[in-house]
Amino acid sequence: MLDGVVLERRQGVGRGRQAAVFAGSIALGLALSAGVLVAAGVPAGALFDEIVVQVFFTASGLAQTITMATPMVLLGLSAALALKHRFWNIGIEGQMILGAVAATAVAVGGVGGAGMRPAMMLIAAALAGLAWIAVPLVLKAVFEVSEVVVTLLLSSIAFLGLQHLLFGPMGDPARNFPVSPVIDEVARLPLFGFGDVHAGLVVALAAALAVAVLVDRSRPGFFGRFVGDNPSAARALGFPVVATTALFVLLSGALAGLAGGLVIAGTEHRLSQYVALHATFSGIVVAVLARYSALGCVVAAFFVAGVYVAGSTLKVFYGLPEGVILLVQGVVLLTLIGGQFLALFRVHREARPAPAPALPASTERAA
Amino acid sequence: MPEDHARSAPAARAPAAPDSAAPASAGTAPALAMVAVSKAFGGKTVLDAVDFALAPGEVHALLGENGAGKSTLMNILTGIYAADSGRIEIDGAPVAIRGPSDALRLGIGMVHQHFRLVGTFTGLENIRLAAGGREGVPVGAALGERVEAIAAQTGLEAPLGVPVARLSVAERQRIEILKALALGARLLVLDEPTAVLTDDEAERLLALVRRLAADGLPIVLITHKLREVMQAADRVSTLRQGRLVMAARPVAEVDPDGLARAMTGDLAGAPAIRQARPAPGAAILGLAGLHVGGDGRVGVEAVDLAVRAGTIVGIAGVGGNGQQPLAEAIVGLRPVAAGAIRLDGDDLAGASVRARRDRGLRYIPADRAAFALADGLTVKDNLAAGDVGAGRTGRVMVPSGRLARLAAERIAAYAIAGASPERPVRLLSGGNAQKVVLARELDAEARLVIAHSPTRGLDVAACRYVHARLVEAADRGAAVLLISEDLEEIMALADEIHVMSRGRLATTPDGRPDRTAIGAMMLGHA
Repeated sequence: MLDGVVLERRQGVGRGRQAAVFAGSIALGLALSAGVLVAAGVPAGALFDEIVVQVFFTASGLAQTITMATPMVLLGLSAALALKHRFWNIGIEGQMILGAVAATAVAVGGVGGAGMRPAMMLIAAALAGLAWIAVPLVLKAVFEVSEVVVTLLLSSIAFLGLQHLLFGPMGDPARNFPVSPVIDEVARLPLFGFGDVHAGLVVALAAALAVAVLVDRSRPGFFGRFVGDNPSAARALGFPVVATTALFVLLSGALAGLAGGLVIAGTEHRLSQYVALHATFSGIVVAVLARYSALGCVVAAFFVAGVYVAGSTLKVFYGLPEGVILLVQGVVLLTLIGGQFLALFRVHREARPAPAPALPASTERAA
Repeated sequence: MPEDHARSAPAARAPAAPDSAAPASAGTAPALAMVAVSKAFGGKTVLDAVDFALAPGEVHALLGENGAGKSTLMNILTGIYAADSGRIEIDGAPVAIRGPSDALRLGIGMVHQHFRLVGTFTGLENIRLAAGGREGVPVGAALGERVEAIAAQTGLEAPLGVPVARLSVAERQRIEILKALALGARLLVLDEPTAVLTDDEAERLLALVRRLAADGLPIVLITHKLREVMQAADRVSTLRQGRLVMAARPVAEVDPDGLARAMTGDLAGAPAIRQARPAPGAAILGLAGLHVGGDGRVGVEAVDLAVRAGTIVGIAGVGGNGQQPLAEAIVGLRPVAAGAIRLDGDDLAGASVRARRDRGLRYIPADRAAFALADGLTVKDNLAAGDVGAGRTGRVMVPSGRLARLAAERIAAYAIAGASPERPVRLLSGGNAQKVVLARELDAEARLVIAHSPTRGLDVAACRYVHARLVEAADRGAAVLLISEDLEEIMALADEIHVMSRGRLATTPDGRPDRTAIGAMMLGHA
């Protein structure tokens, strides 16, 4: 059936075309999502109000979206840094859990002076995430163990460890739920007085800026571009391939850990089982939407957070199951990726089986 | 020496090839006839009105250097490419071959140099996979019986019940041949079948080829080994640069020298680009008793070589004879098994690629897409990679303005068409992509340049350009090691010529072997 269907890579894709395809994909994704939501019982007339107005154009909705987007920026950066440098970090969730645990431990344990407490928590969170990703990094570098498996499994280990802590040593003795005690006021990040938006927003934006500078303007970033695009060429040019990969992978883990710290110090103020729910998924969605651009992650995180906030509103008011919300996100993501594919390739049919598209070079080699 | 060979070779062949098996007399239709076949890729003619005929029961050797068009001709026969013009006849009847399945249906069996077998499947399963529902090929147990019958009849011994990955290369090759026969091949094309075999295995294979032909199966033997032609073939055709320079001559009538000359061409036509040969300076690169492993293919065996400042040393030879391991070892990408690589007299053992580049080593790899360019990145990044790596543009940050200036300068200096600094390298043509590599590698600090097939796949103008730049680098005082399969290029540029064959270097005492000598050394009997 697919005989004669040929994919042809376009020679150069104009910015206008890219923008048009991007807008078209989002429109299609939202339209399909609307279909899903209507089918799930949301009145069609209420859709625009629930999704767009409530989420982005009311003060409380906007504050909620920004609060939600804050850790997501970091998760997106984490995913982007790893994926861009050919390291499949499928364990962002685990690194975020480790970060949240470390931050809670610092807060509950009262480490550092009162004024320094949030800073200490965030540093501990970043280091914990870094340590958790160091395991698959070393296993890959030394024994060539697939990081896909190791990061994924370490997420499960982190989650089970978290449950153990919440039901045991870190649980709140005063409550029956598996949650830690609420952390002190001094351990919380200051609020800006706009909903729940907290100082973590500054941290996340600064991180995005720092990553952008590192990736686009620094020498390690330059090496990283080569490692990501063609590691063999990077090696032949004498670039420090292993060190470069290690730098960005460790940074990926640290950013995921930092996201866990921000959630504890900024919004949740206590550790729960759900602290890193869907973190890997969200991170990858944000990174892919941003096309691995650091500043793009800020925009994409805001957009994805909006979808989440709309989802939770819909969940509360229309009793939609969690799955529908994930479905909507998946639909939007798929249409965007499909759109990128169509922007890069042209699909057409050939009348007869095409001769292999060969350059003289390849025939010479085979001769 | 070739002279000795001329006398001994036909004698060695005699028992296996009775003269009665030689070409059919005029009147009977040839098993296969390709008439005036032409093919061009992107304006470059790779086959120019080539005729090729295969008589029933003959072994017809197709000889030629890399890039002469042998594989293209056979790829047209097997339906991988479509010819631009010309026709193909089988048993006298014109046929249309529109794809590999047409070729299979017509009984054209091909054994590629790189086997097409699934490693986890057994030999029989691989044959079953290829047979998959083809007309006239039995299924189920009948296929197994047929394969065993063919194996018994032809003496093609290969374990059929063992996963192919566990078999030796020679056994896999026999399974490939069995596969072609089981699928109903009426003629067989063997693409450099001995390239992957040991000498003993090669002898066995050639004996098998003779036996199959004696049973009436015509065989095309693609090779560039003269000895095999003399030993196993009835007739020989020679291609050079897409033209048939020797058409179906009976092997008994040719001598090895004539074949070598036909393959490599006459000296007269070679453009001598490098007339002024400056007095050579101090030795920059020195190789002493160098051995390098080849990862299962031919490595480097006991190579001694010196490349002096201001000279171009050429290494000719057919690809796969250790050139890639040699280049990679010098650059620092592959460990040295024994011996030494010296730069300015210092042993480079343990020196990283970085350290070598910092001392002025530059590398133009044979496969630029794989080892020189990051084609998703911009022209600017690719042009600056050498300087950024060395820290010349700053130790921590990379100033984008400086990179853009560098890129603009180099694009202008090398006239890289279609390259604005921010475009991805992927969008450049082969010639312009190679210019990006040259502009980066032949910088002012380059002292030793390893150029491996630097003009592969480039058009004539781009080739000339690359050559001029290499000469310029040598004139500036750099030592240039030019490893190439293109003999014209080596003859035109190199001050000293070596030939690499089976991992070893050979040359004449004056270091300037002529074409005949080079051809003989390439064929591995000098």
